[in-house]
Formats: sequence, structure tokens, C-alpha cells
Amino acid sequence: MEFYTNALAEVLTFGPLMAMIGATLVGVFIGALPGLNPVMAIALLLPLTYSMDALVALGMVAGIYNGSMYGGAIPAILLRIPGTPASIATTFDGFPMADKGEASKALKIACWSSAVGGIASAVALMTVGPLLARVTLFFGPAEYFWIAVFGMASVGVMVGSDPVKGIMAAVLGLLIGTIGIDNLSGQARFTFDQTWLLGGLDLIVVLVGLYALPPVLQLAEKCDLRGLSAAQLKLTNAPFRRGELRGLLPTWLRSSGIGIGVGILPGAGGNIAAFLSYNAARNASDDPDSFGKGNPQGVAAAECGNNADNAASMIPALSLGIPGNVVAALVLSALTIHGLQPGPQLFHQNPILVGGFMMEMLITSLLIFALGGALATRVFAQFQRLPGVLLVPSILILMCVGVYVINGRPVDLWVMLAAGLAGYFLEKVNVPLAPIILGMILGPMAEQSVRRALLISRGDATELLTRPISAALAIMTVLVIAWPIVKALQRRNRARSIDHVG
Amino acid sequence: METRQDIVLGLIFISLGLATAWMATGYTGASGAYPIVLGLFLTLLGGTVAVKAARSGSTQTRVLVNAPVKLITAVAISTIYVAAVVPLGFYTASFLLMLAMPLGLGFRRGVYALVMAAGFVAVVYLVFTVLLEKPLPREAVLSLLGAGG
Repeated sequence: MEFYTNALAEVLTFGPLMAMIGATLVGVFIGALPGLNPVMAIALLLPLTYSMDALVALGMVAGIYNGSMYGGAIPAILLRIPGTPASIATTFDGFPMADKGEASKALKIACWSSAVGGIASAVALMTVGPLLARVTLFFGPAEYFWIAVFGMASVGVMVGSDPVKGIMAAVLGLLIGTIGIDNLSGQARFTFDQTWLLGGLDLIVVLVGLYALPPVLQLAEKCDLRGLSAAQLKLTNAPFRRGELRGLLPTWLRSSGIGIGVGILPGAGGNIAAFLSYNAARNASDDPDSFGKGNPQGVAAAECGNNADNAASMIPALSLGIPGNVVAALVLSALTIHGLQPGPQLFHQNPILVGGFMMEMLITSLLIFALGGALATRVFAQFQRLPGVLLVPSILILMCVGVYVINGRPVDLWVMLAAGLAGYFLEKVNVPLAPIILGMILGPMAEQSVRRALLISRGDATELLTRPISAALAIMTVLVIAWPIVKALQRRNRARSIDHVG
Repeated sequence: METRQDIVLGLIFISLGLATAWMATGYTGASGAYPIVLGLFLTLLGGTVAVKAARSGSTQTRVLVNAPVKLITAVAISTIYVAAVVPLGFYTASFLLMLAMPLGLGFRRGVYALVMAAGFVAVVYLVFTVLLEKPLPREAVLSLLGAGG
């Protein structure tokens, strides 16, 4: 308890509070604009946090994350355009409600459901995270090595449609992580006699390029010259019926549980949580046929589910150093910026910071109740009247400011541009980008751990497998990699047996 | 199309893996062993992607670029912008980008673009230069005026 009271005292000061309020508003705005997403926003924000206090920076990340997951519901309900991938399921019943003149009610339900899901998720993070971190007290270099490998393997396999491409992306990230001077031997690797490469490629520069440039290029391709008309964004008021809000409670409970479960799994994201919650609500309903035709339960399930994924995805990230999704990987990057090594030792070395971030996830979820009301929603919806082509240069300028201020080097702008173009084409050929970043973050930890473990054991590689925890982690890694292969073989056998029967 | 793209992708990663493994043979001890293993593993994965694609014989199409002209325009203007940031100065280059990008993509409401450009660059200046005091490339116009004065 002392862990949280100390952290709360730090969080409830002027800087972090203002950061959370401002960032939650910015998050709702970003989520409300189709084409912009929380990953891009946080990637743009990170370079600017170098000179900030760590709790202020993390408060901004928490606000943008929670705010944008709700903000995505605004265009999903008003226009059937999901503001973020996680709000696709919200369109199923949100837009039919708006069509029936209940847009205001649908937005209120989305707002409250997002807040409830976010609060439940933050409570899960605050209870499970420290417990998991306690286990890590028994970890040595061999265990750290396997944690890094397990994290990369699970994200590589679970993100994207092809596990081989996912793992390939993770290995690419590991290789990028080797650029620069080797900390253990002083050997310069892959620097091509360029002094600016001696420190390696800056994680944030690559990250901004990979995550912010592809959506910008897609916006340019879409070439929206008009924006939306005022008539398309008109909201009419629809009051709640007696007992209607109370009827949402079971849906909120169920969806929170699903969202938290999905969030803890590395690789699974808010969109999966929203779909699973939506399906569960429909299966549990007395009137499943009304889903897809404007049932408020559908909006509540989808929004509660996708926000319940948020803080839960930080559980493996903060306690084990394995990000559950891309935003969690960005949070790990934010910690790296402030000189903190993500992973098991974080809880023991920086309890105020970890506890403070957990409190910030909770407070920003509560802020959605206060800031995401009808008035704010009306204001944010108006930004969709802006032509999309004007957003293209605006985001590019913000990217360049962010990248330039890190080291004050023009060469970083070229690295960002190259990383962005590579990211654009890699995504098109189904190579996921998250494992690349994860490889860059966890690569140095994996390399240093394995070399330390081998030094301790005087070169005996069996040391990596003979300790109980490291053996268990190694087996889990093999299972994670083998699982899609087994599934593929099963599918092939099934197809063959159908062919035989045919 | 999808098959051909994946074969090319696999070949790119094979080349990348072999090149890094070969370069890493020049590094001493454990500094070289780790990237050699990674390079060879990348080669193996690239090979798997290429072989899988060749064996699948899929005829599915996968569009790599939705609007090639718009994409090339956006990339070209972005590249010119990055090249111009240092010689022209950050705010001058950004103001020109705010005008050139929408016009290049077909936006024809000049006054709207001009007002947006001025407004946005002013906000960026207030936030990053005045409030956050971030050092950005100096404006060439100011240097010229300084030299003239």
C-alpha cells in the first residue's frame, strides 16, 4: 500500500496532473481523427519528453493512450469510420444508433464504458503487476536472456498474419540493436566509419519513422480534399430509459474481464479485446438479433473491452519487460529515454515511477468521465471538418521537430525518412513493425545477459537451460514458436482428409 | 503478385542476413559471434519466406501502393523538405511544406492553405521555440537580414 501512497503523492502534483489532463484531451482529439492513432501520437510525443520529468512524460503517454481509445469511438459512431483499429467493433451498433437519432446517447455510453474498462484495467495492473515482479527477484542473467527471447518470440508470432515474418522482423530489430560500439568489448559494429553511428541508431528516431510516416503516406494516398460537412456531424439528444444504464453493468463486468485477459497476452491488441467482448455480449443477450441494429449493449461491450486492454497490456511490459502491444513497447521506450532499463529490475529500482505510472493509468481513465462528455465530443467531432491533405504536412513537421531536437543532427531526419519508407513497404507485405522495435529494445538486454551468463559459467552453455526458471522460460519460448507450426500442420491434415472424403 | 512480392522480400532478407554475418566475421570474439548468429538466422527466415511463397503458388493480388502518383508526390515533397530544413531554416521550410504538400496533392483552396500554414507554423513556433525553447535550424532569411544589416 505504501508503494501506491508514495507514488500518488508524486502524481498529484502540478506537473503530472496538468500533463494528464492535457494529454487526455489531446488523446480524444487524436482518436477522433481517422488516420491518426495513439501509436503515432505517442511516437511523436516521446522525443519531446527528453527534458521532462519522467512522471510528467509517462502521464502524457497514459492520457494520450486512454483518451485516444475513447476518441476512436466518435467517428465510429457518427460516421461508421473507426478512428482507431480498436473501435471497429463500435461501428456495429454505434452507427445504427446514430442513424436512429441516438448519437448523443451512443457517445455517452461509449464514454462511460471506456472509462469503466480503463479503471478495471488499471486496478488489474496495480494488483497483478507487483506480484509478478516479486517472482523476478530470483532472476539471473540466464533468466533475463530467456525473458527477452520469449518476449520477442511471442510478439513476433502473435502480431501479424505470418509468424515467420514476425520473427524475421524481431531478428531485424535485434540486428539494428547491434549497430554501434559494443558495451562489453568496445568493438564498433556496422558503423561504416561514420562517427554518428558509434552510438547506434537512436530508438526514437527509428520509432517515429516506422510508426508515424506510414499513416502520413496513407493519408496522402487517400487525398481527402474536403473534410466533413456540418450536417454530417450534427448530434441530437436522446435520453436514457429507466434502468438502461444499470442494464449495462453485466456487460461492463464481462468486457472488462475479457479486455484484461487479452491485454496480458503479448501480441493481442485492443481490437481483439473489442471483438471478443462484442461477441460475448451478443451470446449472453436475450435478444442477439438486435445486435448490429443499434443495441447500446454492443457499444458498451466494444468500448469497455478495448479500454480494458490498455493498462493490462502494461503488466508484462512493466514486470517482465515484454510489451503486450505497440503502445506498451512505446512506454518501454519512454522509460529508456529516462535512463531506466525496462524489465524485472524496474520495480525494485524505481518503485515511485512504476507505481506513479500505474496511478496515472487509473487517473486518466477517470478523467474520461469528466473530459469525454457531450460538449467535448461535439468540439472534437468538429475537427473532422478539416481536409485530410492538410494533416499530411502538419504531422510531417511535428515528426521533424521531434526527431531533430533529440540530438540536433540533420542526419536523424534522413534516418527517420528511410525508416518510415521501409515501414510503409514492410507493412504492405505483412511484416509487422512492433517486433522490430521490440528487438531494438530487448536486443541489448538479451545479448548482454547471455554473454554475462556464459562468463559466469565459464563458457558452459548448458547453464542457460539447467536453472529451473530459465528452463521453464526456454520451454515456453519453444511452445510459442511451435504453436503456429502445429496449427498449420493440423489445418493441412484437415484439408487433406476433406479432399480424401470428397 | 503476392508470391512474387514474398519471394523478393525473402531474397532481400537473405542478402541482408548474409551481408551482416559476413561483416561480423571481422569483429573480435563474442562481439562478432552474436551478429553472425543473428545474420544466419535472418538468412534462414528469409529463405523460409521465399520458399513458402514459391511453393504456395498463390495467384492472389496484394496492392503494394494504392495511389502511386500521390505517394511519389508525397515522398518527393517530404524528401525536399528534409533536405531544405537546414539550408532554409526550420520555419521557412515548414511554411513552404504546408503550402506545397496540399497543392501537390491536388488541394486548390490557396487562401485556406495559406491561413492554415501561417496558423500552424505560428503554433509550432510558440510551443517549440518560445515555450519549450528547443533549438531548431536557424532561418536563412534572418541570417541574410543580419548580414545585410
